[in-house]
Amino acid sequence: SCEEARQTRVLKLAHGLDVTHPVHKGMVYMKQQLEQVSGGKMTLEIYPSQQLGSEREALELLQIGSLDMTKVSAGVMESFSPKFRVLGLPYLFRDRAHQFAVQDGPIGEEILRDGENYWLRGLCFYDAGSRSFYMKDRPINTPADLQGLKIRVMESPTAQAMVSIMGGSPTPMSYGELYTSLQQGVVDGAENNPPSFYSSRHYEVCKYYSLDEHTALPDVLLIGTKVWNKLSPEEQEWLQAAVDASVPEERRLWAESEEESLREVQKAGVEIIYPDKKPFEEKVQPLYDALKNDPTLYDLVQRIRAVETDNPGSPQL
Amino acid sequence: MKFRRHVDRVLGIVLVILMATMTINVLWQVASRYVVGRPSAFTDELARYLLIWVGTLGAAYAAGQRMHLAIDIVPQKASPAGKRRLSLIINSIVIVFALLVMVIGGINLVYITLYLDQHSPALGVPLGYVYAVLPLSGLLIIYYSVVSLMEAAFPAEHQGDMLDDDPEPVR
Amino acid sequence: MEIFVLVVSFVILLAIGVPVAFSIGVSTMLTLLVSIDSLPAFTTLAQRMATGLDSFALLAIPFFVLAGQLMNRGGIAARLIDFAKSLVGMFPGGLAYVNILACMLFGAISGSAAAAASAIGGFMNSRMVKEGYSPQFSAAVNVTSATTGLVIPPSNVLIVYSLASGGVSIAALFLAGYVPGILAGLFIMIVAGIWAYRKKFPVGDRFSLGYAARKFLEALPSLLLLVVVIGGIVAGIFTATEASAVAVLYTLVLSMLIYREVKVKDLPSILLETVSTTAIVMLLIGTSIGMSWAMSYENIPQSVTEVLLNVSDNKIVVLLIINLILLFVGIFMDMTPAVLIFTPIFLPVVQELGMNPVHFGIVMVLNLCIGLCTPPVGSVLFIGCSVANVSIDKVIKPLLPIFLAMIAALMLVTYIPEISLWLPQVFGF
Ligand code: NA
Ligand code: NA
Repeated sequence: SCEEARQTRVLKLAHGLDVTHPVHKGMVYMKQQLEQVSGGKMTLEIYPSQQLGSEREALELLQIGSLDMTKVSAGVMESFSPKFRVLGLPYLFRDRAHQFAVQDGPIGEEILRDGENYWLRGLCFYDAGSRSFYMKDRPINTPADLQGLKIRVMESPTAQAMVSIMGGSPTPMSYGELYTSLQQGVVDGAENNPPSFYSSRHYEVCKYYSLDEHTALPDVLLIGTKVWNKLSPEEQEWLQAAVDASVPEERRLWAESEEESLREVQKAGVEIIYPDKKPFEEKVQPLYDALKNDPTLYDLVQRIRAVETDNPGSPQL
Repeated sequence: MKFRRHVDRVLGIVLVILMATMTINVLWQVASRYVVGRPSAFTDELARYLLIWVGTLGAAYAAGQRMHLAIDIVPQKASPAGKRRLSLIINSIVIVFALLVMVIGGINLVYITLYLDQHSPALGVPLGYVYAVLPLSGLLIIYYSVVSLMEAAFPAEHQGDMLDDDPEPVR
Repeated sequence: MEIFVLVVSFVILLAIGVPVAFSIGVSTMLTLLVSIDSLPAFTTLAQRMATGLDSFALLAIPFFVLAGQLMNRGGIAARLIDFAKSLVGMFPGGLAYVNILACMLFGAISGSAAAAASAIGGFMNSRMVKEGYSPQFSAAVNVTSATTGLVIPPSNVLIVYSLASGGVSIAALFLAGYVPGILAGLFIMIVAGIWAYRKKFPVGDRFSLGYAARKFLEALPSLLLLVVVIGGIVAGIFTATEASAVAVLYTLVLSMLIYREVKVKDLPSILLETVSTTAIVMLLIGTSIGMSWAMSYENIPQSVTEVLLNVSDNKIVVLLIINLILLFVGIFMDMTPAVLIFTPIFLPVVQELGMNPVHFGIVMVLNLCIGLCTPPVGSVLFIGCSVANVSIDKVIKPLLPIFLAMIAALMLVTYIPEISLWLPQVFGF
């Protein structure tokens, strides 16, 4: 088997999600595709559940060269590669079809390639749904309902500015402390996508989930530039083919998991609220006005808005 | 050994300031939620980065005071000459680790994060500044270990003090 | 190959007396060099050392250490002893109970067994010897009961466990620690009672409600710290980590403004002592985070799981094996590195068997408490012996029956999950 091992190129991929998560399953599918398309000459070794570090740390390991691939939230990429900041803007996409059209098109390619300046080559976007507010003891129907409430946000300036501008008090807090902080009322609520709301068991504490779908922050699959350049052209092709095959499969798995998560949290007594998104969208407009000081992002937003979809007005998931 | 005392003193002052800042910072985090009613956006990150500095720089201070825990069954049973040899070996191992991992690995880490222009999410400080404590602390550990290596290598000048806990050699 | 390099180099380095943190660091470095190029290997380890400390929860360690230092100098220990004495001083072996109870209280509040052993042991030994107890017996009781404070919250080592386990709720762990910690303390008391009865040790003063009430009032500000810390967490005023900083503020006010036993000019030396104590733990955490990264990278935990579950997939047998391994590990290794190294290895095994990670954390810490009192590596034993001025080999004999009692408590806690999980469940975890 030593002989065999020498012939097989093994890429180490680490990420922070647990093995029941749809994005993890998408990457397992990618691994199978890679083995198939390369005839067993290439495979992945996947390390889930933050075994090799947090998302930010894994990105550094790619730059250092001890890890080959990782999957992180686009939000974490913000402090590595500036163009990713555009994806954290609330209500950037008209709907899912628009989002996928942008990510699959030349603009998506441009954002993924921006990482190469930082020794991180983006391979694809994985769907991570939309993030919405969940509160411990009150529903959010309009931005006014957020007034003065302590909302846990990610360590991202864009996310903090968004909650601030909607009227809430953004409270940065490590994810590990969040469950008890919600339970004991250190914070009033948080925001995340349905599968994470479900798997984190925050629904045990937070009984109101308002699907305002403010940000559609995707996940990003990356490979260290040095590792990519070491691969033969043939190996690069195999890997890209496996990646491309995994994207639609992951979207299918995501939709399935999102549906199931919403069903399960409802079963656990969570009230799902479908608020009118317009007032939220209007409230965050100043974030876009402020972008005029940042020509690169401003231009990117204009081009994203200009992207047409084949089927405008397609229903949102 | 006057220089050694200066190093101890400066390091001590820096650590006391860092520790005091860290305490005030976290108390402010609680206070900002209730007194000011506006959660502070940077205290969590600042506290964590201060802890990296206190822990890593403090490790150098503790190395200088020979406070790091060790199992000393073999050293205790050794003859005086054996103790001296062991002290040489132990200090050399510590020096090699501090040099390769903390100084060389640390500088490479600082270099990569500065070169790739990586900033912290909340405070926006270059992450290289946070990691800079590694090579700094590594150099201090090397310095302290070299001092204790010299004491073991030339026992005549430091009679009887090479393995006791007194960081200040008797002159 | 990698696991061989890791284990062999680690054992050799430890044996020749290289400090534990550096032994961990060097053996990790050698292991990484087997499969990664040298510069990335060094840089990765450097990154792990720094990012291992990049955790808000870890801040509780310096803060509880600082609060403990302030309590040590602020006359809080003496008041706790007086209060404990008023409660149990009248029973046969009463002073031994006082020692145990005071150690439990101080260990519970300060979160540090070493602080409890030194603060209470120094005080109690002279009194116990004066009344006819042997200093060895006194020291044995002192060191073992001091370790119960690591299970009774707040507890730094439970925070370390939470970190090593990938984020088990600290609040749940804290609540889970009460009953097992008190149970272990009771078991030590039983041994002390039998011992005192057989040796006909003197009886203390008769119980007086008025006296007890007075001593309670005097100790009240110290005891209130527990209420502030745990109450503040449960009421949602602050997180478990923030509570540690609040504890610092509380003890600072208590010892400087109320008891007036700490002056402003004492603060720099107290802070520096806190930094040194903390940094020793932090370097251990940093290098062990590096080691557990290397182990994950080489899939070592999976191999161990496979081996252990191959021996038996019976929960009772596997838990017994794990407990025996941990008891053995505790003989040679301090608690923090042991928790950091063995949590990622054993937790997947017991979770596979359906064990609650909160429960396992309590079992692991309670188990390693015993190791803190055994030579050759037993920080609490060393402190207890040095304040009691007895040699380590003399303490072994009185320690043995206490160890048996602690192991009995450990078995109960291991096989009856409700002992740990009942309280967290009451609070909705
Ligand atoms: Na405690
Ligand atoms: Na031991």
